[in-house]
Amino acid sequence: MDIQQNPYEWMIKLTPQKEWIEGRGTLLLLAMFFGMGAGVYLVFSVFDNIFGMLVGLLIVNLLFGGLHLVYLGKPLRFWRMFLRPQTSWISRGLIFVTILNITGIVEMGMIYWLPGTGIQMVFKVISIILAVLVCIYTGFVMSYVRAIPFWNSALLPVLIVVHEILGGLGVVLMLSKINGFGLDIELIEHWSTMLLVVSAFLLAIYLWNATYSMRPGPQSVLVLLRGPKVFSLPFWIGVVLLGIILPLIVGWYSYYGGGVSSYLLFGGIVSELTGGLGLRYCILKSGFYAPLLPI
Amino acid sequence: MKWTMVIDLTTCVGCWACVMACKQEHFLPRDILWGRIAMTETGTFPKVTKQIVPLLCNHCQDAPCVKVCPTGATVVREDGIVYVNYDQCVGCRYCVIACPYQHRTFLASIKEYHTGHGFTEFEKIGRQLYPIQEGTVLKCNFCMERIDNGIRKGLKPGIDREATPACVIACPTRSRYFGDQDDPEAEVVKIIRERKGFQLHKELGTEPSVYYLYY
Repeated sequence: MDIQQNPYEWMIKLTPQKEWIEGRGTLLLLAMFFGMGAGVYLVFSVFDNIFGMLVGLLIVNLLFGGLHLVYLGKPLRFWRMFLRPQTSWISRGLIFVTILNITGIVEMGMIYWLPGTGIQMVFKVISIILAVLVCIYTGFVMSYVRAIPFWNSALLPVLIVVHEILGGLGVVLMLSKINGFGLDIELIEHWSTMLLVVSAFLLAIYLWNATYSMRPGPQSVLVLLRGPKVFSLPFWIGVVLLGIILPLIVGWYSYYGGGVSSYLLFGGIVSELTGGLGLRYCILKSGFYAPLLPI
Repeated sequence: MKWTMVIDLTTCVGCWACVMACKQEHFLPRDILWGRIAMTETGTFPKVTKQIVPLLCNHCQDAPCVKVCPTGATVVREDGIVYVNYDQCVGCRYCVIACPYQHRTFLASIKEYHTGHGFTEFEKIGRQLYPIQEGTVLKCNFCMERIDNGIRKGLKPGIDREATPACVIACPTRSRYFGDQDDPEAEVVKIIRERKGFQLHKELGTEPSVYYLYY
């Protein structure tokens, strides 16, 4: 595979994007991973659990938002990023996060003081919609980039949102096992397993679809499937084995096979979360620009 | 008015004069290049051709970098020049990612040309004249300062040296042309028409303002 190895091959061979994956770009990879905080908020919001919702908001603000902020070259100017929602998905995302914080806090107050009322339901629906928007916007940030055909797919935001909700369900399961919370754990396990099957199916379609995209979209898929190892190992071991197969086996036994030990369930959840991180790594790492030369 | 550059690949010898002139004009720090030369070979032995292609920001009229910028720091002027307002840039690098020509560079820190010896007088003057900022994204600005000053003095960019981008006037083989694409009498318009000038990655619909001649 003709991938740029040396500086003089820049834009002559397939040139990988580096800004969002190498060096400080690693912060962005982690930030994207912690977008699942919105998934945590969403799941706990369905169950009207104030503590869990707060955990979700903290993950969104401190880890997701904080890592984004640290990544910026001029973090003190972050407020300027509110100014261009007409065209920029980063701007839209920041606005979604801000509104989610406001409606989330109001909803938590409603659950505490006015539980079961109509107004609480209204805020619940609004904040769930906003949590979905926070989950989905990182996908749109990437899919908007036409220069990287592998990312330029309508399926990417869907894949990302499914993974962020899946990560959220994993964290909720973990917290529920530790703290109880009175949640229906079996139901969450069932959702988690179903969503895992959906995400595997979506990933397959996304990759298959990318093979029909503009050059170098198909090459991105090839490097993930066949190597070099820096691309294929995280994909097969991280995404497929840890992210799909192991959690599916654990989930299946836990729900349909009469239950598994807490340790095994924890292992399955950690494995699933690692797979989510691996997926984001693979997508970011295999984003290539089409060469400008030869003409 | 739409400023356009034409680069003749049949006469370019890859001397790097354009790259150096650009660095000098804008006092660019170490490791930062606004213009570059890409070289490769095509064909198989014994019929091999060396391709030398000068590259710079394409000043797209439908620029992806402008659309994705969350702060409005990247702007397309009425005359087609795309530039970065360093005071507004937050350094999110979304524009670097979105540029299909990869002609944006994030300036993490300004490094000395002679490591451990401090900044030279040239570098210090440069920072005063061109106050670029660490933590922001840099790119070619078609020497808009030269163009604006020249127009103010009644000069014509592309014809008068003082009002023409540095890379164009530095080219020893006259491989670069500059002018207004909206002026039907401009040399660039005639050359693009007669010699079938083409743009890089036209399929992306970015409408670049830089054309290349291959025939």
